[in-house]
Amino acid sequence: MSHYEEVKVHGYDEFCKAVSERKGKDIFAYFSGNKDDQGMSWCPDCVKAEPIVRGEMSHLPEGSVFIYCQVGERPYWKDPNNEFKKTLKLSGVPTLIRYGTPQKLVEEECFKADLVRMMFTED
Amino acid sequence: MHTFSCVSYCIISLILEIKWQGVWFVTGTFDYDLVVIGGGSGGLACSKEGKCLSTKWGIGGTCVNVGCIPKKLMHQAALLGTALKDAQKYGWQVPGPISHDWRTMAEAVQNHIRSLNWGHRVQLQDKKVTYLNMKGRLVDEHTVQGLSKTGKETTLTAKNIVIATGGRPKYPTHVPGAIEHSITSDDIFWLKESPGKTLVVGASYVALECAGFLTGLGLDTTVMVRSVPLRGFDQQMAGLVTDYMEAYGTKFCWKSVPKRVAKLSCGKLQVTWTDRQTGQDQQDSFDSVLWAIGRAPETKTLNLEKVGIKLNKESGKILVGADESTSVPNIYAFGDIGEGRPELTPTAIKAGKLLARRLTGQSSELMNYDNVATTVFTPLEYGCVGLSEEEAESRHGKDSIEVYHAFYKPLEFTVAERDGSHCYIKVVCERGGDQRILGLHFTGPNAGEVTQGFAMGFRCGATMNHLKETVGIHPTCAEELTKVNISKRSGLDPTVTGC
Repeated sequence: MSHYEEVKVHGYDEFCKAVSERKGKDIFAYFSGNKDDQGMSWCPDCVKAEPIVRGEMSHLPEGSVFIYCQVGERPYWKDPNNEFKKTLKLSGVPTLIRYGTPQKLVEEECFKADLVRMMFTED
Repeated sequence: MHTFSCVSYCIISLILEIKWQGVWFVTGTFDYDLVVIGGGSGGLACSKEGKCLSTKWGIGGTCVNVGCIPKKLMHQAALLGTALKDAQKYGWQVPGPISHDWRTMAEAVQNHIRSLNWGHRVQLQDKKVTYLNMKGRLVDEHTVQGLSKTGKETTLTAKNIVIATGGRPKYPTHVPGAIEHSITSDDIFWLKESPGKTLVVGASYVALECAGFLTGLGLDTTVMVRSVPLRGFDQQMAGLVTDYMEAYGTKFCWKSVPKRVAKLSCGKLQVTWTDRQTGQDQQDSFDSVLWAIGRAPETKTLNLEKVGIKLNKESGKILVGADESTSVPNIYAFGDIGEGRPELTPTAIKAGKLLARRLTGQSSELMNYDNVATTVFTPLEYGCVGLSEEEAESRHGKDSIEVYHAFYKPLEFTVAERDGSHCYIKVVCERGGDQRILGLHFTGPNAGEVTQGFAMGFRCGATMNHLKETVGIHPTCAEELTKVNISKRSGLDPTVTGC
């Protein structure tokens, strides 16, 4: 039993629902391009970053929430008006955010284990 | 090294390890080559340059948290209010009376500051700077002690120590009720609710900039000035700045000193002050009182005297040499904490970078503090570089200088039916020879943008000839600087006419 809750969601609406159901909690969210049937994402950077991010999850704060969100297929993501870009202001995948704070790591920043650990462990 | 998370803790010491060309420098006798205490504009720059880390407030110091950044954003908010009024003259159908919501602005500004804090944090981590969120003090010339929020003590030894702890706003010592009931610039940018009817005490650029944007946002604002506005700046220009503010709704209590601040049962603050010219006491009530009467260095908790670091008795700032050295050989200080240094972010950043390069043996270049351009972001902005007219007269003699000037009107003001009578340019130069420019002064919109380029001209030893030979960009306000030709000495009307 881990000290945090992992939630897997697909798409913007599921993401918003997961967040609204966990008000008041410390929520971390990792956004990745969709994975195919073989579990491979169309986003090569997401493929590279995921094991690094997962490797630091033991450092997540007690009682926090980790939302793993697949944003959609490549054409959806490339549309500059998709909800993630418009409302959540995401600029790229992978992105790791601490919901409700300005803390975020974008693209290559997610490759750096020490930055991921810093986000999980510092206020 | 463990990092301590600490959201509300004020002062933090930071430790840095110098990494140069991939090699860690750890001397035989000391834990570290360099420790930087302080994490504002200066400390951050020094640490990133020399791979050292420094933090203050949420990382970024005064500039990011309670200075330049929120100031400029709120100044912009106020300017946009004026622009909305102008817009109607340009044909925009703006519905109804325009009002401002402080909460919306404050949240947006505060969120931006937090994103900058985070950005700095990521950068430091990325550059392998060890960051310790603690309160630092000197034990001896090679030892720094850090105290964490939880009370844990950490001691480190360092070959060199750099102090960049900056300054904080001063509170008055002889005004009963001042400390309990009023705020400073540390607080104004973090208010969740509007400050309402505000009294700003002071006439520094901090005071005038704050009073300026508060007025622009629609708040009843009064400035209380003891003697002169913008001390140290060209006084003719300072007068234009305050004249414009008065014309646009900021109230001024000239030659007045506050005597007492009392909290009324309704929650308002009653301020009693003495009008120095009449000797009479006056009274009025305000929702907020903001003190902007000067800044004092952050040295009390550092234990400087024990280590032998000499301070200026009056200001309390650290006495520094041209290379930012203090009276103790291996301890350096720069930024706002240094005596005689401009209290500006860009000079602190540059000085910090150069210091780090010198300490790591990469260069011997010293910081040049001469002819640093600045801008006061009052409702009518004032940009300047070089000497004021008074300073030029004092150094060279009135007969050896020539002052060219012009009143101009920004094109954009015409349709908007705005009063441009305070938009003015002044170029102070040597009278003889090539007429080297000694000082350049500009009031008008976007003064900072206008002045920046001319600052480079100063670096190149600009003369009046250079200025006259430069073709202006049309139509702009900046081009008026290339056209200035009426001297004060001639007595001719300096108002620009025609296209």
